[in-house]
Amino acid sequence: MDAAYNLARWLVRDDHDAQDVVQDAYLRALRFAGGFRGGDPRAWILAIVRNTAFTWLKRNRGSNSPAEFDESLHHGDIADAGLEADAVRGADAAMIRDTLNELSEEFREVIVMRDIEGLSYKEIADAADLPIGTVMSRLARARGRLAKSIKERVSKEST
Amino acid sequence: VNCDDARILLHGHLDGELDVVRDLEIERHLEECPRCAREFATLRAMRARLKDETFRFEAPAELKEKIRRALPQAPLRANGYLSRRRGFVPRAIQFAIPLAIGAMLALFIAPRAIRPNENDIVAREVVASHVRSMMGSHLMDVASTDQHTVKPWFNGKLDFSPPVTDFAKEGFPLVGGRLDYIDDRPVAALVYQHGKHVINVFMWPSTGTATSAERIQPEQGYHVEQLMVAGMNCWVVSDLNQPELKTFAELIRAHG
Repeated sequence: MDAAYNLARWLVRDDHDAQDVVQDAYLRALRFAGGFRGGDPRAWILAIVRNTAFTWLKRNRGSNSPAEFDESLHHGDIADAGLEADAVRGADAAMIRDTLNELSEEFREVIVMRDIEGLSYKEIADAADLPIGTVMSRLARARGRLAKSIKERVSKEST
Repeated sequence: VNCDDARILLHGHLDGELDVVRDLEIERHLEECPRCAREFATLRAMRARLKDETFRFEAPAELKEKIRRALPQAPLRANGYLSRRRGFVPRAIQFAIPLAIGAMLALFIAPRAIRPNENDIVAREVVASHVRSMMGSHLMDVASTDQHTVKPWFNGKLDFSPPVTDFAKEGFPLVGGRLDYIDDRPVAALVYQHGKHVINVFMWPSTGTATSAERIQPEQGYHVEQLMVAGMNCWVVSDLNQPELKTFAELIRAHG
């Protein structure tokens, strides 16, 4: 359940709302237990949590919504962010969290599932309803953007 | 591999998701290309940072409690859900539905429900119990990595004393224990961890003939090992891959 809450919390970015989403997701999971087609039950539960969270986001989308998600591949996303490994190691955790929160949900969720939750590409594909071939390229862009934003913040702080 | 391709494949390399051939290609590219190598170092540092527990939100206890109460604890108790629908549902299905609701138990079982033997039935109970322990957040009654805390905890709660050993050194730390109910009797459940995988070990004194170590068919993604330890039935369940679970089962046998 920690995995479910963690994902919901990162997606809706609020403790109370995340709790509602997880509870709603578990109830749905029970109701639609018949829809389970075998495979990894964790990915299945996370898929429901994710869908519930996205529905919630659509309904409550405020003015401070993060960057629009763009599926097309921009070369800049995966180009050198020019961020040094040492800068990452020294970066403030709260700053990294803010930066991650500014990514679009589609980017945020793959980073959360892979880097924080430790899911395999196959599990991410199942949970996020992506073709497995898309998982790596989306992660590449998501991490590229994260690196770029961290870089921007780091250089802003040092000036 | 050129840099453009490498920029995406770096991630698969980092995550250990590439096939061997691709992996070697990327490794070679990283040796030759300082820019990609630098990018890779940054990615690795980023991933290491994000792995830190500070970035992982833990579900609040109140939420776990709320959901645990909403989840049916066992298939039979789920009967209540049905009462208002009786009359609409044919008798045969009436029996199947509570099972389906019961902690999503039936869906792990249904495809194989034809003429189960006794071991199969226990295997399913064990898997169902494992799944329930993961979903219902009732994973542990006693949370401790100390075998000298966990073992005495069972005193007075069970009419036997299960062997409890911590395998932290071997990569399978003991994290706790709880009481469970399998095969119509209270049993000891020990909880171990391996990476992010949880392993449940169920133990109770053997009554029937000693069935030697036997591998049970995987139940919908879960692997089950059965063995005899110090005169006890011992069932090991996890979503861990089969070879690693086997290694763990051998550890238990060796220390039983």
